[in-house]
Amino acid sequence: MNTKPAPDKKTVSRKGFTRRDFLITGLGGAALAGLGLYLWPKIFRPRWHEQTFIAKVPDYRADIAAVILAGFRELGVSPAEIRGNRILLKPNLVETNPGAIHINTHPAVVYGAAQAFLKLGAAQVIVAEGPGHCRDTLLLLEESGLAGLLGEDRIPFIDLNYDDVYSVKNLGRYSTLPRLTFPATLKQVDWVVSLAKLKTHHWAGVTLSMKNLFGVMPGTYYGWPKNVLHYAGIDGSILDIVWALRPQFAIVDGIVGMEGDGPIMGAPKPAGVLVMGRNFPAVDATCARLMGIEPRRVRYLADAWRLGPISEKEIVQLGENLAAVQTKFQLLEKIPAHRGLRG
Amino acid sequence: MIADNDPPLSFLLNRIKERALECGGFASTPRGDYRPEATCWGILALPSDPANHDLIQRARDRLAAGQLPDGRVCLSPDHPEAYWPTSLAVFAWHRSPEHRQNQARAAQFLLTSGGEHSRVRADSSVGHNTALQGWSWIAGTHSWVEPTGLAMMALKIAGHGRHARVQEGARLLLDRQLPQGGWNYGNTMVFGQVLRPMPLSSGIALNALKDQTQGEAIQPSLTYLKSRVISLNTPRSLGWSLLGLAAWQARPGQARRQIDNCLKSQEKYGSYDTSSLALLAVALQSPGGLEDIFSVREKS
Repeated sequence: MNTKPAPDKKTVSRKGFTRRDFLITGLGGAALAGLGLYLWPKIFRPRWHEQTFIAKVPDYRADIAAVILAGFRELGVSPAEIRGNRILLKPNLVETNPGAIHINTHPAVVYGAAQAFLKLGAAQVIVAEGPGHCRDTLLLLEESGLAGLLGEDRIPFIDLNYDDVYSVKNLGRYSTLPRLTFPATLKQVDWVVSLAKLKTHHWAGVTLSMKNLFGVMPGTYYGWPKNVLHYAGIDGSILDIVWALRPQFAIVDGIVGMEGDGPIMGAPKPAGVLVMGRNFPAVDATCARLMGIEPRRVRYLADAWRLGPISEKEIVQLGENLAAVQTKFQLLEKIPAHRGLRG
Repeated sequence: MIADNDPPLSFLLNRIKERALECGGFASTPRGDYRPEATCWGILALPSDPANHDLIQRARDRLAAGQLPDGRVCLSPDHPEAYWPTSLAVFAWHRSPEHRQNQARAAQFLLTSGGEHSRVRADSSVGHNTALQGWSWIAGTHSWVEPTGLAMMALKIAGHGRHARVQEGARLLLDRQLPQGGWNYGNTMVFGQVLRPMPLSSGIALNALKDQTQGEAIQPSLTYLKSRVISLNTPRSLGWSLLGLAAWQARPGQARRQIDNCLKSQEKYGSYDTSSLALLAVALQSPGGLEDIFSVREKS
């Protein structure tokens, strides 16, 4: 005797599938397709081949312009590429504290970079920054010693916090920001150069060439601190800004960096290096390795694969050997963004 | 009150007037476009004598034309979230009978808006009381020291000095005061480390706390700013430090000389923006803090 209950004609197809089976199979298929769409470009993307350059620089009395020019030669930055162009140098100016040389990009590095670009034939070099904590940018300029050096060569300075602005749709879509508002000065230059500082960071893990670009976002539209970017997600905002701007070059001042509770309250860490390159994720990944940090563990770098490589296999290391300059930057267990960064 | 034929003041007022626009309002830079914050500061700096009357009224009208129906005044119509100029607009419309409604709507907007706040968590990485609500620079973000101070001052002159929001703002400022004295943008301690004070933020907070707290509560900050102001030579920090100290009758004797030196620094930095010039002009004219500019003018 057949004890099997009679199939319900309303819910079972001729092949024996119930409506629930269809639903589960359909959802499973859709999930697999979604996963495939997400992973496909990550796994089967073309390999990057980017170069970074590391130079040993013992202290700020060195001929930094000469070091940067050597980096340009190695990285293929030619006079023909720079001649006649307007170059914007964006240092990391955060706060001043008498005697502290580990908070801001050192004025000697800014000056050296300006000299190097002028030597290659730049039509003009301007320095521009929109500090996130201090609304008096001139105070930072003056007390950091940068004003004196720029004044000597009449290099103009632009306060990006109060500049005129333009807005663009946020095409990166890494953060929740629908649009990005940039200072008009950025439209008037040919090259944007991030002159960052080699530091740990208590929210982002590290602050290097990419996070430094938070400073281009005008405080008049993002606040002091640039809290709009914090609410939209720090890591996503870093990537959106780089995606929208496509900056041309990065130089990271690691002559004296900062370890521990960066970006302002940490301790000086003399690493004795300048790190340079055209590709920002590659430069930041190199800096992270130099600091004893695994780049894949830094959230914004792990998500940066559409912008550049972070794998050692895809970064051609020029100048000093990474192992020769590697020095572990102190990370603090009490800071969640530092946990697990060693890899 | 300093006469406006006084050399530094007449220099400042002339530079500000040069930035007035045909269509009303002020630009931030020579040949620049209309900017609401520059317009507010330009109006505040210029003495309300007959020579300036038309210029000031047209500037106030321009500001009123940009006011949104809910009362806010934004940097631009495309960015209603950037509403921080609303506090400055309350000052700019003060004692203008034609703009009484504009001022009342702006003040009402301030009373109904504010920075994000949240309950205090035991494991919080920041040291301040996140449950207190003040004001933010931009909609949808946290309450910070400077916009809170500016909104408090605006509400006080608009007649809301005893409002619960102003009182909560005062509690927020006292909570954000650094243990060593002074304020920064609004973080006292992060991951167990006490942060550093900044003169501009300290000047605004001290000015905002005038008539809102007892002198002993802000004594460490007065001590900090009195020693810090001596070395200041940039307009935003110097201007607000002088106003903050003046609000507590602690304006330094060398204030005029410092403003003079600060103006000379334009040879190095280029001409200052309108807001900075106007801030210095207000600091020069007002011996008792920002709000005092109106009573000084009444007496003259």
